[in-house]
Amino acid sequence: MTENWHSVTLNIPFASEKHALIAKQVIEVDSELQFHVVKRTIEVDGHVLIAAFSTLTVRLARLAANAFLENVDLVVRTLERFGEEAENPPSS
Amino acid sequence: MPGKTRKTPLKDADRDYLALGLEGSANKLGAGIMKHSKDGAAIVLSNIRHTYITPPGEGFQPRDTALHHREWALKVINDCLTKAGVSMHEIDCICFTKGPGMGAPLQSVALIARTLSLLFSKPLVGVNHCVGHIEMGREITGAQNPVVLYVSGGNTQVIAYSRQCYRIFGETLDIAVGNCLDRFARIINLSNDPSPGYNIEQEAKKGNRLLSLPYATKGMDISLSGILSAAEAYTQDKRFRAQGATGDEDTITPQDLCFSLQETVFAMLVEITERAMAHIGSKEVLIVGGVGSNERLQQMMGIMAQERQARVFATDERFCIDNGIMIAQAGLLSYRMGYETPLAKTTCTQRFRTDEVHVAWRA
Repeated sequence: MTENWHSVTLNIPFASEKHALIAKQVIEVDSELQFHVVKRTIEVDGHVLIAAFSTLTVRLARLAANAFLENVDLVVRTLERFGEEAENPPSS
Repeated sequence: MPGKTRKTPLKDADRDYLALGLEGSANKLGAGIMKHSKDGAAIVLSNIRHTYITPPGEGFQPRDTALHHREWALKVINDCLTKAGVSMHEIDCICFTKGPGMGAPLQSVALIARTLSLLFSKPLVGVNHCVGHIEMGREITGAQNPVVLYVSGGNTQVIAYSRQCYRIFGETLDIAVGNCLDRFARIINLSNDPSPGYNIEQEAKKGNRLLSLPYATKGMDISLSGILSAAEAYTQDKRFRAQGATGDEDTITPQDLCFSLQETVFAMLVEITERAMAHIGSKEVLIVGGVGSNERLQQMMGIMAQERQARVFATDERFCIDNGIMIAQAGLLSYRMGYETPLAKTTCTQRFRTDEVHVAWRA
């Protein structure tokens, strides 16, 4: 049945493997809203986050990829703002 | 008096505890830092909030609200840490609103909470928004065992505590009272700055006529959607003058309608609160939630309370209106009782009943 589905794969390189893993763990908690017609896998290969979507319709492919990228953007901005501070704990 | 004095299960703090609270279930994005010190005090170190205000006549939609939160959250959190003079490393737990509320905005805040949790290796605590309001109200006012009237744009409930559960005695059968007021504000094109409810309150002070609106208490509950329709119907009446009083007899102005709407719905709220108080013999009323900052509601509740030799407790807009510090407070109480939310369970939910929470920190 899924032979005629549409697929989109996104490769997002991060500054480090640690950050890519954080992004994976943060985003994968929420399942897809329409999980019957949108299949998603999220993996990490080195410092690259790889998300693969398989969807019933083109519209769903656009929505799923778009939402995923918006979430990646939010995680990236959070890592950008707080990443350096996290690496430097105060010595006490 | 309800409830014998039992020893609280919450042990004294063995050290200072710090919690970051993140709130974004509606159009307010809040971050706050709460400190529970060794001597038992609860101190608000910072409480920062940014509100998404829509143009007059428009409500806030989930997508735009989520975009607002994503745009403002990092700045608000940063300001919150700076004002408290605290770094993320010193925080003990990151508390966030699990629900109830709007899906996309809730999720936006949860994503940030999870990222911070993994970056700084801090546990996450998912908090019920309603319990947050209650716990902050209790902490600020010192009310011992009040009947709680929780009234906001999204919720309208009468709550009383019993055996580690905030039990819902009465509630709205359809829409929240804040939602009713906000939607009426849109009908008459009031500004949403600082909030539609505040502007209705100011307009109501200029009203002169008490117009007849349905009074819809249903036992311990209330129904508000019919009243909203009736108020809207008056704006189509041939006596309605949108620009205000004209000096003619028998006109209906927006100010008259704001006044009539407030008087009617607030009287209903006072009634169902009084029913709960009579039921359990309570001498205290605590009003929480955004609509709780309405001074007319506080005044009317005060009149009822005085007749029953009871007291009304209310907080100011810093704590009444959705904020991050209340999430930090409720979250830290949970955390100190050993509660944490594992990462896989940090999803958000639009429906989260107040009585689903196990109130472990109270006797």
